[in-house]
Amino acid sequence: MTSLLKNVISNTQINTQLVRLLHTTSVCCKVQAGRYRITPKKDFPLTYEMANPPHEIAHRKTWNSWNTSNLQGGLRSSETAVEDVFIRKFVSGTWHNLFVSEIIIKRQHNIIRVAGIVHRAINARKVYFLIGYTEELLSFWLQCPVKLELQTVADKKDVIFKYI
Amino acid sequence: MILRNLDKKCLLKTLERQFANNYATVTEAAKESREEFKALNLKHVKGQVVQKRAPRKLDVLPPRSKQMATDQDWGNVWPGPRTFHPSTVPLPIRQGYVEKGAPPDKYANAELMKIPNFLHLTPPIIKRQCEALKQFCTPWPKNLNTQEKLIENFPIEVTTSNYCLSSPSIRNPLARIVTLTIKVSSLSLKGAMDKFLRLVGERYNEKTDILTIVADRCPLRKQNYEYAMYLLTAVYHESLKVEPWENLKSEADMEYYNWEKNASKKSIEQIFGKPVEEIPNSKMYAEAVSNLMNEGESDYTIAKYGEAVRTLLNLPKTA
Repeated sequence: MTSLLKNVISNTQINTQLVRLLHTTSVCCKVQAGRYRITPKKDFPLTYEMANPPHEIAHRKTWNSWNTSNLQGGLRSSETAVEDVFIRKFVSGTWHNLFVSEIIIKRQHNIIRVAGIVHRAINARKVYFLIGYTEELLSFWLQCPVKLELQTVADKKDVIFKYI
Repeated sequence: MILRNLDKKCLLKTLERQFANNYATVTEAAKESREEFKALNLKHVKGQVVQKRAPRKLDVLPPRSKQMATDQDWGNVWPGPRTFHPSTVPLPIRQGYVEKGAPPDKYANAELMKIPNFLHLTPPIIKRQCEALKQFCTPWPKNLNTQEKLIENFPIEVTTSNYCLSSPSIRNPLARIVTLTIKVSSLSLKGAMDKFLRLVGERYNEKTDILTIVADRCPLRKQNYEYAMYLLTAVYHESLKVEPWENLKSEADMEYYNWEKNASKKSIEQIFGKPVEEIPNSKMYAEAVSNLMNEGESDYTIAKYGEAVRTLLNLPKTA
């Protein structure tokens, strides 16, 4: 017991000496996620989604994932989040360079609705194929009906909200 | 090392041979179209004109909303829940926030696609669906028109909850809980009320006279419902039971003081020489005595008792 006390006392003495050596800085409250820097030429295109930073969610823009898992008492929130990431990756890879908006995932009961705006860069037949392909594979993997509800634009510039 | 390298070389050679055999048929077929291939022109040497194919124009139909008749049936256009589509909805909707100027319009507006819409539930459609559902409904019994009659005829109320959620499974563990409520006065418990309340404990609400049984220990709703009903029957029959030793209950074993059955009543009758009903102010005395015995001795109960005795015996009141 005495040896322990001695140890503690000696440690506190060392600490008082160390305090002087400790260098502290003020807290850096920088947040950069989801925000875009202004370019010198002011020619960087932003969609409406990109133009509004994350703190504007539920004020100027809404969530890209709609489900009940993240509500209080919601079930299988982790599974839903992982599935959403998977859907996003699969859709953006399958529709390579075609989606001009974020991929919106809405869940109602067991249906998953994947929505978004697609650039009309490929012909209609290919679009139909890709819709069927995506729906079929996703519903096979996720074991629930998946619906792809798309809107098309002729030009990528149609979705641009502003340039910074 | 040398041996190993030799082995590798041998392997590679055999692999090459295999590939050559496999693709032999392909190469023969491709020989015919070989002349159409152009030489690779990486450095863009002059003389070789690279023909640029003009981008094929996709013919896009005009928005569907422009071809719609004004008196069309909207339920056929938008039969079920669906993400907003600007060319189908003939409404000049805008959504979004712009510091100066009008909000973005409906074309290429992702915000409108995110939010849930009720375009499939317009008032005429709801009316139509209700009409279609009417054939599966039965009329409400005419005699059950008041709340009192409902409680009288259906004293047991069973409450369960269903949960809607967005997940591939419709199961929710909270859906198993069954709450059973019953007005205790609707049970025919005459002498057994005291025993019933002792068995039931906190589940009984004195103010509303309602017994609540919550069953949530079984995994399924049906099991919980059956368990709650079992509990109710068991408690009811258990409280109706009378054991032989209960008849041995003496005055000292009583839960509360009942003046009507006690010596105090007899002694009064003896003093006055007539039954209690004919003695003036006997009711007040009875109340004072039972309060004193049931609530315990306090300044208030003792004072009340004294007052009752004085009025009963026609004694002068103290100042």
